[in-house]
Amino acid sequence: MPEITLEHITHHYGDKEVLKDFSFSFVQGKTTCLLGPSGCGKTTVLRLISGLETPVSGIVKIDGATVSKNGEIAVPPHKRNIGFVFQDLSLWPHFTVYDNIAFGLKEKRERNIKEKVSDILDLFGISDKAQKYPHQLSGGQKQMVAIARSLVLQPQVLLMDEPLANIDTHLKEDILGHLKTVQKQQLFAMLYVTHDHKEAFHTGDHILVMNAGKIEAAGTKEEICNSTSNYVKSFLKF
Amino acid sequence: MDRRVSTHIIRIVPLSLLFIVLVLPLMLLLFQWLTDTDRTVLLSFTDQKTLLLIGKSLWMSFTAALLATCIGTICGFLLYKLKIPYSGFYKLALLLPLLISPYIFAVAWKDGLFWLLGNSAAVYSEAGVITVHAFVFFPLAMLITGSALSQVHAGYEEAGLMVVSVRRMVLKIIFPLIRPALTTSFLLILIFSLSDFSVPAFFGVRTFTTEIFTQFSALYDFPMAIGQSVLLLLVCLLLMLTEHRYLSDAPFFSVSTKGSVSKKYNVQKRQMLWHGIFWLLLIVVLLIPVFILTVQSLTGKTLFFARAWELVWPAAVQSVKLAVAGALLTTVIGLWVAYEKERRAHQFPNVLLLLTFIVPSTVLGIALIRYYNLPLLNFIYGTSLILLIIYVGKFGFITSRIIGNNIKQIPVSLGEAASVIGIPSKRIFLKILLPLMIPSLFTAFVLSFILCLGELGATVMVYPPGMELMPVKTFTISANAPQALTSSMTLINMGLTMLLILLFFIIGKWVFKKYQYA
Repeated sequence: MPEITLEHITHHYGDKEVLKDFSFSFVQGKTTCLLGPSGCGKTTVLRLISGLETPVSGIVKIDGATVSKNGEIAVPPHKRNIGFVFQDLSLWPHFTVYDNIAFGLKEKRERNIKEKVSDILDLFGISDKAQKYPHQLSGGQKQMVAIARSLVLQPQVLLMDEPLANIDTHLKEDILGHLKTVQKQQLFAMLYVTHDHKEAFHTGDHILVMNAGKIEAAGTKEEICNSTSNYVKSFLKF
Repeated sequence: MDRRVSTHIIRIVPLSLLFIVLVLPLMLLLFQWLTDTDRTVLLSFTDQKTLLLIGKSLWMSFTAALLATCIGTICGFLLYKLKIPYSGFYKLALLLPLLISPYIFAVAWKDGLFWLLGNSAAVYSEAGVITVHAFVFFPLAMLITGSALSQVHAGYEEAGLMVVSVRRMVLKIIFPLIRPALTTSFLLILIFSLSDFSVPAFFGVRTFTTEIFTQFSALYDFPMAIGQSVLLLLVCLLLMLTEHRYLSDAPFFSVSTKGSVSKKYNVQKRQMLWHGIFWLLLIVVLLIPVFILTVQSLTGKTLFFARAWELVWPAAVQSVKLAVAGALLTTVIGLWVAYEKERRAHQFPNVLLLLTFIVPSTVLGIALIRYYNLPLLNFIYGTSLILLIIYVGKFGFITSRIIGNNIKQIPVSLGEAASVIGIPSKRIFLKILLPLMIPSLFTAFVLSFILCLGELGATVMVYPPGMELMPVKTFTISANAPQALTSSMTLINMGLTMLLILLFFIIGKWVFKKYQYA
């Protein structure tokens, strides 16, 4: 199974430093939640792993191979076999649901595209929406399409940037249930960004609490709850 | 008076005025053609010469539009999607050909070809007209596609980058998303090129617009001129109808109150290549014409500058005064039409302005002459009012779209927030909407001013006796004067236009700094 390692990452946008000497290795085949307040650098971690950003300094490794290093990109995003579900979902508005999901498969010249798309649509229960355009879907349906679009390519890592924010608990659990089912089948690692500790405890096998570009605490739910860090205690409102 | 009645009156009176003053002349031209007993006009439609000429005009415009759209799209992509140092300078510098009247470039390139090839038939070729049109109009495509590229959400691109390379993503995600902008650019340039009178006239190339002018002004064959005008009008209407949805929302200059939502790409490698491309383009479209005009002005035994200055200066003063009045009027009308469309979902005034905008200048000129050439209406026909009407017809749509695109970006809730605390709608307009629109009003005024200053196609047909205007003066003198005098006058016209652009640029910087709130 692949391993994702971030070594001594420092990154900034203009004058604003968002990550400071950040190092971490992500647990394989499990779900790791990045938990922290807005602007603490959670999304930046995902963008660095995906290759949408290159770290100003530091190294990103996947499977032991360096994919980005000190501002240089060695492996472009589409060759990292990573799925990314964006916060705003970013479904392509000029493609139907079917085309949104099939696009990556077509570009990678995969076989049995129709079957693969049909299977994933069935799994999420949105087969009847295949020919609809994104603007014709409800919020929950859009979220399912965005996740299905990433999963159909069978990524080794799935990055989720608060994609389930602003939906009701029932639907959120429904989507997470589908996601867990696929994770068990495909055994991909999932990195899930959230600012809600209840969601993190519910979703994550491991949790990473971040503050101002640094790791404050890391571990299982129990370990985080028992953390001695004042920041963690305050953030969790214990 | 009941408030609803007064609102209706406020809406109907200016609409009726716009219709009577500007659209009715075009309708009467069509009516006159339909009811004319002189069937030779109708027969001229099937005349081989006429059909060949319209075919030639169409293929020339099509080629120019294709070239300009390609160059403009490439420039738009490089300047709006890549992080290139000095991109702001390139955007401004490459915009200049669009702001300087086409006839100036026509004179320059004709001089250049004359210089290179002597008095050969190649100088008076269609290639010259196509090249000048492509060089003059490509900034429009650059602006429209650039604006569309800035609006492509970064998320769409990044989601694409997760599965395909940058090149495939541009091809499969970005270009389909900006297709309306590409179509709009192509159609607008096609219409501009097809309608332009000045460039083919200076090159001595026969196109449909120059033919109409010849029939009307030289041969006094009014029925033939009307027949040909109607044919050209129908072609333009057909073009408008094919993509009316896109054209009616054409962005032109987008004065945004929001930042760009688009992703920009780092291109640290090949920096020299990008700078090389832009400098090459600047040299070809801007510096070579200036160089040619300067050299041509200095050629010969007599220096014509002093004589040219004597001729141009009075015309320049009158042109500037008229352009200021024209720009003010088109901006006010543009504001009203934009507000009606964007805030009251009242499309009709916008459709009327779109209609007069796509009508070629010479056709509009003929329609207005036929309508206003009556003793009763001499206060319009015999004065500069006729020119102001032309300016509204030709450029009102552009100002309305610049302002309209700005209004669209101002949240309705800003007005609603004032409305719930009891502020009357007029005060909301004056105190909330208007201050937020100042940058777009200024942009609309400046663009309209520059366009009014260089308008030739319709102006040359209707300008009242005793009035001297810069482009008309140069055009009329070019027929008989030595080439060096025409070049000197054109160079002075160009210099004055550039000076005014610089002045507006300085004022604009202050306006945008003070009034752009986001």
